[in-house]
Amino acid sequence: MSRLATEGAPADAAERDLPLLSRRRRRLSRRRVGSALAPYALVAPTAAIIGAVLAYPLYLLVRLSFQKYGLFELVRHQGKSIGLGNYTRIVHDHQFWTVLARTVAFTVVNVVLTIVLGTAIALLLTKLGRAMRLLLTTGLVLVWAMPPVVAVNVWRWMVDYEFGVANWTLTKLHVGNFLHYDWFANPWTGFGVITAVVVWGAIPFVAITVYAGLAQVPQELLEAARIDGARGWNVFREVTLPLLMPIFVILISLSIIWDFQVFIQVWIMLGNRPPSDYFLLSMYSFVESFRISEYGFGAAIAVVMVLVMFGATLVYIRQMVRTGEAT
Amino acid sequence: MSRRKLLARVGWNALGLAVFGVMVFPVYWMVATAFKPGHDILAYTPVWLPTSPTLGNFHDAMSRAYFWTDVKNSLIIVSAVVSLSLVIGFLAALALAKFRFYGRKAFIVLIIGVQMVPLTALIIPLYITLSRAHQVNTLTGVIIMYLTFVLPFTVWTLRGFIMGIPRDLEEAAMVDGATRFGAFARILLPLVGPGLVATSIFAFIQAWNEFIIAYVFLHDSDKQTLTVWLASFTTLRGTDWGPLMAGATLTALPVVTFFVLVQRKIAFGLTAGAVKA
Amino acid sequence: MGEIRFDHVSKEYGGGVLAVRDLSLEVGEGEFMVLVGPSGCGKTTALRMVAGLEEITEGEIRIAGRVVNDLAPRERDIAMVFQSYALYPHKTVFDNIAFGLRMRKVPKAERQRRVEEIAGILGLTDFLHRRPAHLSGGQRQRVAMGRAIVREPKAFLMDEPLSNLDAKLRVQMRAEIARIQKSLKVTTLYVTHDQIEAMTMGDRVAVMRDGVLQQVATPSHLYDTPRNLFVASFVGSPPMNLIEAEVERDNGALVCRLRDSVLELPAARPALEAYVGRRVAVGIRPEHVRDASLVPEGGRLSGRAVLVEELGAELLAHVEVAATPLGRLDLVDAASIAADGLDALTRSATLLGRFPRESGAVADEPIEVTIDTRRLHFFDLETGDAIQAVASPVLARVER
Repeated sequence: MSRLATEGAPADAAERDLPLLSRRRRRLSRRRVGSALAPYALVAPTAAIIGAVLAYPLYLLVRLSFQKYGLFELVRHQGKSIGLGNYTRIVHDHQFWTVLARTVAFTVVNVVLTIVLGTAIALLLTKLGRAMRLLLTTGLVLVWAMPPVVAVNVWRWMVDYEFGVANWTLTKLHVGNFLHYDWFANPWTGFGVITAVVVWGAIPFVAITVYAGLAQVPQELLEAARIDGARGWNVFREVTLPLLMPIFVILISLSIIWDFQVFIQVWIMLGNRPPSDYFLLSMYSFVESFRISEYGFGAAIAVVMVLVMFGATLVYIRQMVRTGEAT
Repeated sequence: MSRRKLLARVGWNALGLAVFGVMVFPVYWMVATAFKPGHDILAYTPVWLPTSPTLGNFHDAMSRAYFWTDVKNSLIIVSAVVSLSLVIGFLAALALAKFRFYGRKAFIVLIIGVQMVPLTALIIPLYITLSRAHQVNTLTGVIIMYLTFVLPFTVWTLRGFIMGIPRDLEEAAMVDGATRFGAFARILLPLVGPGLVATSIFAFIQAWNEFIIAYVFLHDSDKQTLTVWLASFTTLRGTDWGPLMAGATLTALPVVTFFVLVQRKIAFGLTAGAVKA
Repeated sequence: MGEIRFDHVSKEYGGGVLAVRDLSLEVGEGEFMVLVGPSGCGKTTALRMVAGLEEITEGEIRIAGRVVNDLAPRERDIAMVFQSYALYPHKTVFDNIAFGLRMRKVPKAERQRRVEEIAGILGLTDFLHRRPAHLSGGQRQRVAMGRAIVREPKAFLMDEPLSNLDAKLRVQMRAEIARIQKSLKVTTLYVTHDQIEAMTMGDRVAVMRDGVLQQVATPSHLYDTPRNLFVASFVGSPPMNLIEAEVERDNGALVCRLRDSVLELPAARPALEAYVGRRVAVGIRPEHVRDASLVPEGGRLSGRAVLVEELGAELLAHVEVAATPLGRLDLVDAASIAADGLDALTRSATLLGRFPRESGAVADEPIEVTIDTRRLHFFDLETGDAIQAVASPVLARVER
């Protein structure tokens, strides 16, 4: 996955893996034709499913975004084309821009927290004794495995208005008075809790992945840097970080993709009925469609979401495709 | 070890313990609450240890309407998704790893791009499409949708594993007399084992934990999955925390168990070869 | 001001495994000292202790008079060339070399000047903006050297820097490294398992085995006067011939009995007197085993040539003679045992002899060889120690 992997890599490995296809093109017997079709046959089911469930609906989504599609249209299975009507409505929709800004801010905060804390824990893991490392890793895995629905409910319980253990602890630590405090009355504190849940659930993946990456950094490079005069932080910044860049690109991109689409946590935290100042883009699109039955408008919002995410993760996409090609 | 190093090691371990405690606390709290009797749960001062554990909450949760039905549904969906994704995904991974063919690049873009499309965005057109085909309230529809989200990861990971197997092994087998298929079955398949395990676990987790699609597409209570069931605990009256935590524990149990067993393989699959110096 | 000194240094790993035992060694200012020995002998561990990459269990290491046991690597002002070069893969050649200077906060203009100067000396000027992945093995090796040289450290530490190069390149780089070190006059501690490298490059060579220093001396001294069986078998290629014999007295003079034959010893060897009537190990280097038809002088042995290897400039003859091969294999370097010399069952030893091309030696034919008996080495069969030709305290001091 690293750019470096392709640069100095021996040519023969790629050469040897060269397709049976090109070698066999010389003679056209039935067996040859059979094997030429083989890859397509193998790939067909996957392509079909993904195509049917994703590609086609994606196309539909885009088409939908150019239509007016309410309850009336739903019954008739037919939308009414209104050109860019939905999009202009978005541009003029004050709520849309608020929600977009909120979603972006939320994403940035979550991604930064997740990556920084996850990396910090990964570094901590390298400094631990074996037993402790095993314990912490197991703990991380435990957190990673928790279904989001479960996690949200647990946190909801922990910050409960009356009996929440987090409230009690924070008060005892003199952070403030949180007894009988409704975290969700104020969107700022409400999102604080939601951020905590999201980051909490996302840290293990980052920590474990970065740790695995750290383990692959050749020991000698670190030793050479230490001999050359670099101390702790410098060694990390100059040697480790650049080597780990590909992993970070992947992690950051995946985090952006996931955090931008956060839905469940907000939805369930607020009892399936979140007030509008808690809306994130995914919820806005959903609510417009399924509650208000403005499927076309909801679709347009979703399209905007896809475009924004696509743009934000362009680097990741390019790198991954290049990796897929470099074989 | 010198004294300075020993002290440093102890310090790091202490920090590690603290981090562990903070991270795992919510999980502990969930399980502890699940075993506590009502008066210990609804206490203004937290009861840290369940001194008089009870199974009452679990009974309550499990006897709620549709619990066992929904467990059954979840299991059906999960088994289907896991087995189908393994077979279909493996075939596609084989193609990607071993052959070069026209449309390969497009396929790769499809695989990667797919992971970027927001689920919530597709719910709308999917709903509309499926409602036309009268597939809205069915397990089959849900299974196919889950497959779509699981396949890219499966294909990509298995491809990585297949490519990691030296071609020499297969060629040696063929020289030794095995047919192409024989070499495949005897040599390749066993070596990709860990990859199959890892991807099946991933599929399991995805299918088991998923909420949105199940929530939107499964209307009838007897068709829903466990995650939706858990979400329904919150009524307008308020929340039964004890049974909720018990239900949460039950919902999380299968996933956690499997995950703990194979987590190492997943991280490996993602990062193998990522760092090259 | 860059001497390196080991003072009774030991390194213990968990479980009582001693990688280095009681090593005392002094590398003089500007000296090129080679640590050589088979894998696992402790040479790399010793080097890494000087670098600060391994903790010192016992003893003291001094660099330029300063005890460095508790100093971090960056505080020791040493530079290291790793076996794998350890070049930073994401940095250009320029940045690789400049890294150490940057860490020491050398100003940019000065850094530029020094890096370009070193690049010029090493022939790297055209590659300054390439990354290591785009360099050949030899070029990478030179970058690794450049990185070490540019810092002007008190000492160079080199950990088998040539083992990743092919044979031809290795010969070339050997000369270059030696040349560079001579011109810079920096104290160098060089680790290798290749005794040819050791002999050609070192001012002095320290032979190690199982964590213990066997002998430290100039290459020629090591060759001519090995202190024990291990050093004798390790140094020299092809390796020294080793057989067992009995010391006897014949008309007042000492002779050496090889089963059927007897070799007269030319000069008096007082130390050997104590071994009369006992078995000893006898060594003779291949160049001192001659074709009797070409060189008739010396102790004569008859035998059969089992193999004759033509090396172009000379012949390497494997001659089977009626003598007992060395039984104490634990005392020698295992790698130096010629395969056919091992057959205890046949009870005959195979001597390697280096003959000139004119020799008529042919495989599977009887042949007579003469031994230059002035060059015989004798070793105690129990301890493996050399039985000195001349018991001289002067000799002992020269070694140190």
